[in-house]
Amino acid sequence: MLALSGITVRYGERPVLHGVDVTVSRGELLAVLGANGSGKSTLLRAAADLVPVAAGQVTVDGGPRDRLDLALVFQRIHLVRRRSVLDNVCAGALGRLPLRSSLLGFPREVREEAMACLERVGLADRAHDRAGSLSGGQQQRVAVARALCQRPRVVLADEPVSALDPAASEQVLALLAELAHVEGLAVLAVLHQPALAARHADRVVGLRDGRVVLDGRPDQSVDSLYQVLEPVS
Amino acid sequence: MTTVDGVRRLPVPPKPRRPKAMLIGWAIAAVVVAAHTVAWETTGISLGALVDGWRGMADFLGEAIPPDLSWKVLGPSLDAALVTLWIGLLGTTLSVPISLLLALLAARGTAPAEWVYQAARAVLSFLRAVPDVVFALIFVTAVGLGPFPGVLALVCHNVGVMGKLWAEALEDADPGPPQALRSAGANRVQVAAHALLPSVLPQLAGLLMYRFDVNVRSSLVLGLVGAGGIGFLINQSIKLFKFDEMLTHILVVVVLVVAVDRLSAVVRRRLSEGDHA
Ligand SMILES: Nc1ncnc2c1ncn2[C@@H]1O[C@H](COP(=O)(O)OP(=O)(O)O)[C@@H](O)[C@H]1O
Ligand SMILES: [Mg+2]
Repeated sequence: MLALSGITVRYGERPVLHGVDVTVSRGELLAVLGANGSGKSTLLRAAADLVPVAAGQVTVDGGPRDRLDLALVFQRIHLVRRRSVLDNVCAGALGRLPLRSSLLGFPREVREEAMACLERVGLADRAHDRAGSLSGGQQQRVAVARALCQRPRVVLADEPVSALDPAASEQVLALLAELAHVEGLAVLAVLHQPALAARHADRVVGLRDGRVVLDGRPDQSVDSLYQVLEPVS
Repeated sequence: MTTVDGVRRLPVPPKPRRPKAMLIGWAIAAVVVAAHTVAWETTGISLGALVDGWRGMADFLGEAIPPDLSWKVLGPSLDAALVTLWIGLLGTTLSVPISLLLALLAARGTAPAEWVYQAARAVLSFLRAVPDVVFALIFVTAVGLGPFPGVLALVCHNVGVMGKLWAEALEDADPGPPQALRSAGANRVQVAAHALLPSVLPQLAGLLMYRFDVNVRSSLVLGLVGAGGIGFLINQSIKLFKFDEMLTHILVVVVLVVAVDRLSAVVRRRLSEGDHA
């Protein structure tokens, strides 16, 4: 589904990704692990066309990627806290709405589709609450519903649970895995905790210094990713 | 390290001396003193003149007190105070659409291009630099005496101030939600309408209330130059040497200004409380 091949990204002169190959299949939750600064976020941003790539290409279903095919979920959630949960989810559809119909409130079809997305993440009963009044875990599930309302084929999540407590983290990851398995989405999630990846991901990719050094079953040992090579005095 | 009564102490090391910083400090002090000396000379400040004028001030106050609170004076005074209030109100609300447009064009993040940003900033600076009284004098000449030129003058100046304040509020907003909608394919206008403006609405409304308060006070001054309202009555009573009527008008003004000030403060407090809830 999503295929990154030979991706090289430089910030200025310094290469941050060195010809990285990563694929995520339909119906698969892929966890990307790696130490801070190993290039995980950069990989996601390259996939979403948010940083220029020096070399390599990104394809979705073998063809060129359409921006709307890729939905993003953020560590800091980024909902409009003062708006209702439903309005936040509807906003995921903006990319395909003409300007006119999106300024005078959302059309009924969109609101109903957004309700279905909320149902999908188990929060249909909170539709009219202010987004800011929900707990962190619930807000992240609303953000996932917003991503769904975009009708994506790929979901990219950068540390989606780093700001959440353990129970909420489990819930959000279980949700992402379920969306991959049931809806047939390709989900790529950057995670900080190998244990979470082992429990929920179908496959893990390990990055070290901008290179893929590990790709395979989620329950393998990933300690080498986080080891410090130079002795620290 | 010394120990006194079981408390550990360490002598404070001497501060490093920085001669350059001291030199700059002295230079700034010299400039400030020089500026005040020139200003004192130029404005002709003279305690003697104040003492000599004392008798005049006393006569003036003697005639003004007690204020003429008869209905013949108070009635028109209250009517004119209402006109002042309406001028301030319309001067504020009518400037909302243009202020919003200019603020969006003059905020990094929403400005469509660098030259638009610079142009919008320049327009706002110009409108801000020209005082509302000057706008009023121009409009009184153009459309004649009365409240209408007052409203026009307030709109012009207020767009400059409120547009700038709003642009800054927009720039201070959390960039996260706009970024999220942009990544979902929303265009510039959709991002502003669905992420940016909803997040900063309380701040914008608070600034609007603050400007309403300021504009009601300004519209009083505009009356002095013929743009209607109670300022006009104050000006007339001074010209006709009716100082007791003037004092009545001033008392009405004080009540009006305090009332609007309180209202504005209460609304702004409510808005910022609602934001934290
Ligand atoms: N906008 C940027 N400009 C310059 N360097 C950056 C930028 N973003 C990230 N980097 C650098 O690129 C490297 C990889 O960063 P990132 O992809 O954010 O790592 P991770 O998400 O794995 O912690 C880091 O060394 C970081 O300092
Ligand atoms: Mg990161």
